[in-house]
Amino acid sequence: MKKALDDITVVEYAELMSGPMCAKMFSDMGAEVIKIELPDRGDQARHLPPFAGDVPHPEKSGMFLYLNTGKKSLTLDPTKPTGASIFRKLISSADVLIENHPPGFLASIGLDFASLHAINPRLIVASITPFGQHGPYKDWKGCDLIEWAMSLAGYNTPTLVDDEENENPLRAPGHAAEMMGATNAAAAIMCALFHRDTTGEGQWIDAPCWQATVNTAKIEMAVYSYFGVPFSRLRGKQPAGLEPLPCRDGYVYTLWAADSHFTALKALLGNPPALDSELFDTLAGRQANDDALRMLIRQELIKYDMEYLVTEGQKLGLTIGPVYTVAQAAEHPHLTARQAFAEISHPVAGCFKYPQHLVSLSRTPPSPLRAPMLGEHTAEILSQLGISHEEQQRLRATGII
Amino acid sequence: MAHLPLDGIRVADFSWIINGPQIAQWFAAMGAEVIKIESQVYMDISRTNPAGMAERKPGPNRNGFYHMLNYGKKAVNLNLRTTKGYELACELIKKSDFVLECFPRPVAERLGLTYEKIKAVKHDIIMISVSLLGKTGAEPSTWVGWGPMACCFVGMFDAQGYPGGPPRQTGGTWPDYSIASTVVFHALAALRYRNRTGEGQWIDASMGETVIGQMHEWFMDYFMNGRDRRQRGNHDDLMAPHNTYKCRGDDNWIAIAVSNDSEWKALCKVMGDPAWTHAPKFADQFGRLSNRDEIDRYLREWTRNQDHLSLAATLQQAGVPAAPVLDSIEIFADQHLWEWGYWWKMNHHEVGERIMPGIPVKLSNVPELNYSYPPDVGQHNYEVFGGLLGLSNAEIKMLIEEKVIY
Repeated sequence: MKKALDDITVVEYAELMSGPMCAKMFSDMGAEVIKIELPDRGDQARHLPPFAGDVPHPEKSGMFLYLNTGKKSLTLDPTKPTGASIFRKLISSADVLIENHPPGFLASIGLDFASLHAINPRLIVASITPFGQHGPYKDWKGCDLIEWAMSLAGYNTPTLVDDEENENPLRAPGHAAEMMGATNAAAAIMCALFHRDTTGEGQWIDAPCWQATVNTAKIEMAVYSYFGVPFSRLRGKQPAGLEPLPCRDGYVYTLWAADSHFTALKALLGNPPALDSELFDTLAGRQANDDALRMLIRQELIKYDMEYLVTEGQKLGLTIGPVYTVAQAAEHPHLTARQAFAEISHPVAGCFKYPQHLVSLSRTPPSPLRAPMLGEHTAEILSQLGISHEEQQRLRATGII
Repeated sequence: MAHLPLDGIRVADFSWIINGPQIAQWFAAMGAEVIKIESQVYMDISRTNPAGMAERKPGPNRNGFYHMLNYGKKAVNLNLRTTKGYELACELIKKSDFVLECFPRPVAERLGLTYEKIKAVKHDIIMISVSLLGKTGAEPSTWVGWGPMACCFVGMFDAQGYPGGPPRQTGGTWPDYSIASTVVFHALAALRYRNRTGEGQWIDASMGETVIGQMHEWFMDYFMNGRDRRQRGNHDDLMAPHNTYKCRGDDNWIAIAVSNDSEWKALCKVMGDPAWTHAPKFADQFGRLSNRDEIDRYLREWTRNQDHLSLAATLQQAGVPAAPVLDSIEIFADQHLWEWGYWWKMNHHEVGERIMPGIPVKLSNVPELNYSYPPDVGQHNYEVFGGLLGLSNAEIKMLIEEKVIY
């Protein structure tokens, strides 16, 4: 298998979601990723569910197994002086360091960007944090819920709220905000690698998860700052919105704004007389009578099965899709045909499918390999750094590795 | 302007609306020459959508949706349905590193924007195709749809609801944005590979598949244990309390997330150490997780009449992860976003001064990104078709009259 990034070495000093996700993108594309984990405990994600077979075990966390594919695990404590000096050796030949500690933490253990740059001027350091390296919130504590809730996307989730009191703002499933921080950092690191090709210099990237998530609400921003309407999540305070609508055996999601779409929707539902009213003939009419129209459409959709509505609707040119559960998606022939999931075997966790790629590439596809066991590569990496077997035993005894 | 990271890279950009333009926005701001190729036969919807019109006046150069997604680029017109228009597009492709498009598969095929055709024009091109569910595979590869439909397909909206309730919708058109930086990373990896080997490739990006990556816990639980997790509201596997709570005023909320004993103690202290917090069942993380609904009831009562902005600041100062849920007015006023340098001010000849969202990363050696103002319709026709392709002014004028450059 051809690898696009097999000439790149990444050191990951990070845990949980954002930093590991960013480094995973590099390892799946062929980079050598050395993951630094605290001796004994390891990455906190090792202790988070879901676990294979529902048995808590540091080598069986689905979250850890997914986020750390193809990496090498080095147990090392860089907060101790000897650990820090091994860390410096490690980054002296690396291309990229990915870290997700609070601002100022690396400096507090003598590993700030300026000192690392002095050792390796070509090093690119990416710091992924909740709020960034400066500004009034830089020391605020964050996690996915916090970063998400503060972005406009957070205020607007779920959309079309009827009961303001009881429908509180929800976090998106998974780690949406941390994922945005991770992918933005990955894109920025690639930009910095191109910059280094020209200038010969590495640099420091400040990649905050909150700002990355705020950046996903441009429509809501423009509705306010151009059109003059503060965005609201409450039904009735925005023009006709969209939402999953019930059918006989589940839900569908569809759009009937344009005339051609509305005509297709009527045809799909067998041209029921109730929808033939002149009230609904124009876009303006449909918007003005949205409540009544929505009710009528709901009454018709409930008579049909999801697969029928979607397959026939798409043939008629209607924008309509199924609302699947994760289990339905995981077994869907389309995703199978695209090899969206592939089996990976792990000596402790076992063999099962994983999501295979974020996007598909024809010549150098992302190819995740199994996640490392805690400290699996410690001896190998330290030997490469010229640290003798005896010295390694001493480091192990003092809890450095 | 100082040297930018992607100087010297050119993108032939046929994309429109949100996801493609957001990808190209990254390229342009980072210094690539992005040539946005539009046709007035079907104008980019972001130029015409009524909800983005400045002061509600129509005009293709005054729409906020378009501005916020298209700064730093060049804009030319080409009608690809004409033979000459398609030929000129091919000439631009020959001089480009990337081709970017985000049409539904049947439309891309009709317009001749398939990888097979494009690589015959330039063998080492890196083509980026963005779509709902990918442009290969079974029938869904032909579907027409937009971001939220991708969420529906891969289980995100089913999982978005309150526990036991119906599927709900995530705010905005989430996957249109979440796919953008993901594609930029993979596209630049492909460009590095091309620079080393001379080989191009096709990036077939599915919005659904990037969402699957974000929901890996749901999918891993299914593949490992056969479990369909469904809706979890704001429940977390580790943290409690972990929710949003109503505050004083019109639809104001605060988020609070407690992950350990010291954060819990700090929260109790800010609350004034009320008696209920002393119950042994709340003493450790496991107890709090088991009794999270009861904690939520107490917290709701406590936040009910407080200001969401100042309460979040107070909690953060005490070491408790908390956040005000910001609305569109508050987000433009937020001091951190200004000081960090997320917002920038654009001076535009049609709409005046506007606050624009920037690229949400900072590179220490790149003090300024390319934030030149979003181009008017056809603004760079003469520069690109003349300067880059060598057409004379008279030829360009004729092609405009013939509605080829249109």
